[in-house]
Amino acid sequence: MVLIPGFTKAELKENAKYWISYLSFLSFGLVVPFTKSKLSALTFIVSIVLALLLAFLTPFLSTLLLTLLNRPLKEVDALFAYTAVADGMLFMLPFAIMALTARFALGWGAVMPFASTGLTTAMATAGAELAGKGGKGFLNMMIPSLLALVFSTVWILLCGLLP
Amino acid sequence: MATPTKTAAVNWKSLLAIFFNPGEALKEKAVGLAWPVAIVIPGISFALFFLQTGLDLYRTGRMNVWLVVLLAFMGLLYGTVGIMGLAALVWLLTFAGKREVGIGRAISSFAAGYAATLIYSLLGIIFSAILGWRTSVAFGVTGVLWAFRPNMATIKHMTGGKKIYSLFLTTLCGVILLLGWSLLGKINV
Repeated sequence: MVLIPGFTKAELKENAKYWISYLSFLSFGLVVPFTKSKLSALTFIVSIVLALLLAFLTPFLSTLLLTLLNRPLKEVDALFAYTAVADGMLFMLPFAIMALTARFALGWGAVMPFASTGLTTAMATAGAELAGKGGKGFLNMMIPSLLALVFSTVWILLCGLLP
Repeated sequence: MATPTKTAAVNWKSLLAIFFNPGEALKEKAVGLAWPVAIVIPGISFALFFLQTGLDLYRTGRMNVWLVVLLAFMGLLYGTVGIMGLAALVWLLTFAGKREVGIGRAISSFAAGYAATLIYSLLGIIFSAILGWRTSVAFGVTGVLWAFRPNMATIKHMTGGKKIYSLFLTTLCGVILLLGWSLLGKINV
């Protein structure tokens, strides 16, 4: 059954997962300016752009890296890394909702620990999924976590530098 | 002759894995424990975390010693009774009993997930006591958030692999935990 012309049901399902992850990144981008002592339009725009940039860059690089790490799995499923990263990225959502709750319902100032842990959890979940499918367990557990560590550190540093 | 090399490689990887993720290594040991023993893990974790919060407030003159001790005790209660309650709630909402997952197993799995929190809390209290750092956010909050990854896996298992429902329940648990934590903070400060 074709729901939208040009897309199969399976493709739409995978794309929907990515949209949920973009929404999670966007939520963090929205929250960060509200943790600053003074809210300005420039901070708001830069924060949103930064979050969206990471939202596209993180799954892209993770998929690329996990494809290279697990070449034998490509024979079984050509989109194995794409699917695993899409599944993993879904797990950013609880952290994004917790960050929104922490800032807007409880008035807390620190939200970047939520972003950092969420990103690491999402990428480690993608790696664990591939390890479960027959990929190299050790590398699939370590490399995505290290990549998430780099991305979240850069994100935290850049958020600190926001005007 | 191949065996010693392989063993050495495995040990090297295991050591590196423990270095990068000590909580996971501890969780693997704790997951088979009986629930009354396993619940000690979040109990101590939250007691140490709340103690760090109290020490941070004590250093800024906003709390006296007795309130710091009381806060740590409330952390112990929150980590034991609160986490048991949360595990029981998930167990009920997932009908895990029908899949032969007993409530005791649910509590011990949930509790074991806080192994990472325990590592962070121990490190935090060391840095707080020896170097006088304010550690409640850097170590405490981060440590509590780290428990969500193993708990997500536990919830997913309890839902029978339903991804979206397990995401919803994980979010619900996270929000309940934050609200409870905030409520305790308001009572004591």
